[in-house]
Amino acid sequence: MSDKVIHRLYWDFEREEAWLNRMAAAGLNLVRYTWGRYQFTKGVPGQWTYRIELLPDMAGTQASRKYLEFMEAAGVEVISTYMRWVFFRKPAAEGPFDLFSDLDSRLAHYRRVLGFYGTLTLALIPITMSSVNSLARAGGLLGLMAPLLAVQVCVFAAFALNSLRLLRRVRALRDRKRLYE
Amino acid sequence: MGAEGSGPLTETVFYVLLALGRPLHGYGIMQYVAEATAGRVALGPGTLYGALTTLADKGWIRPLAGEAGDRRKEYILTAEGRAAVEAEIGRLEELLRNGRRFIKEGRA
Repeated sequence: MSDKVIHRLYWDFEREEAWLNRMAAAGLNLVRYTWGRYQFTKGVPGQWTYRIELLPDMAGTQASRKYLEFMEAAGVEVISTYMRWVFFRKPAAEGPFDLFSDLDSRLAHYRRVLGFYGTLTLALIPITMSSVNSLARAGGLLGLMAPLLAVQVCVFAAFALNSLRLLRRVRALRDRKRLYE
Repeated sequence: MGAEGSGPLTETVFYVLLALGRPLHGYGIMQYVAEATAGRVALGPGTLYGALTTLADKGWIRPLAGEAGDRRKEYILTAEGRAAVEAEIGRLEELLRNGRRFIKEGRA
C-alpha cells in the first residue's frame, strides 16, 4: 500500500483538523506530519477521528511525554508530533472524540494557540516593517525585493488574521462562561 | 475550613473526585463518568489530565504506586479530597431543596 503525501500549510488548527477528518472519512489516514507535509495511508473510510493539540512545551520534554503516555493509556493514539504540535486519533466507532469537555480546558488550549500565533505575529512586525523601509529607501527597486516583500506581507497578514480569529473564539468562550461552565 | 475555596466545585472536578472513591486510572474515570451520567458528560482526556494534575497538586487525590513501567497510573481520593466532595454534596443538597420547592410552588 503506497502512502500519499500532500504538501499544505495551515494556520488554523481547527480547519486543519476538519481537513484531516474529511480525508479520514474518505479513507486517507494521516500517519506522519512534518512542517507542511502530510503523509497518509489508504485505509477503511471513516475509521478514525483526528484531533490536533498544541502542547505547552516541545513534544520531547518530560512533561509532554508524561501527557502523551497518559493519552495513550486512556485510549488515544499519538499519530505524530512536530515541535509542540501533536496529532491524535481514536477509532470513530468509539464515538465522538473531543480532547476537551469543559470551557476552562478548551479556553486554556485556545489561549495557548493564541499565544503561539500572537507571538509570531508580533515578531513579524519589525521584520516586515524593515523590509518595507528597505524597499522604500531603494526607491522602489524591482527585481528580487518586491516579490520577497509581498510574501512577507502575506505571511504577516495570515498570522495576524489567524490571531484575530483565535481571539474571537476566546472571547466567545469567555462570554459563555458568564452563565455556564 | 475557611471561606476561601468553599465555593462550588466544577462538574468535572466533582465527578473525578466521585470516581476516585476507589482506585482508578484515566480510562476508568472516563468510563465511570459516562456511565454515571448516562452519557451526558463525556470527559475529554485533555480535560481529565488537567483535572488530575490540579487535584494532585491540591492534595485531594494521590497517585498509587504501580508496577514499574506500568503506564496506567491509578489515583485515589485523599482524606482532604473526600472531605471536599462530601462538603460539595451538602451544598448540592441545599440547592436541590430550594430547587424542588421552586418546582412544587412555582417560586422559591
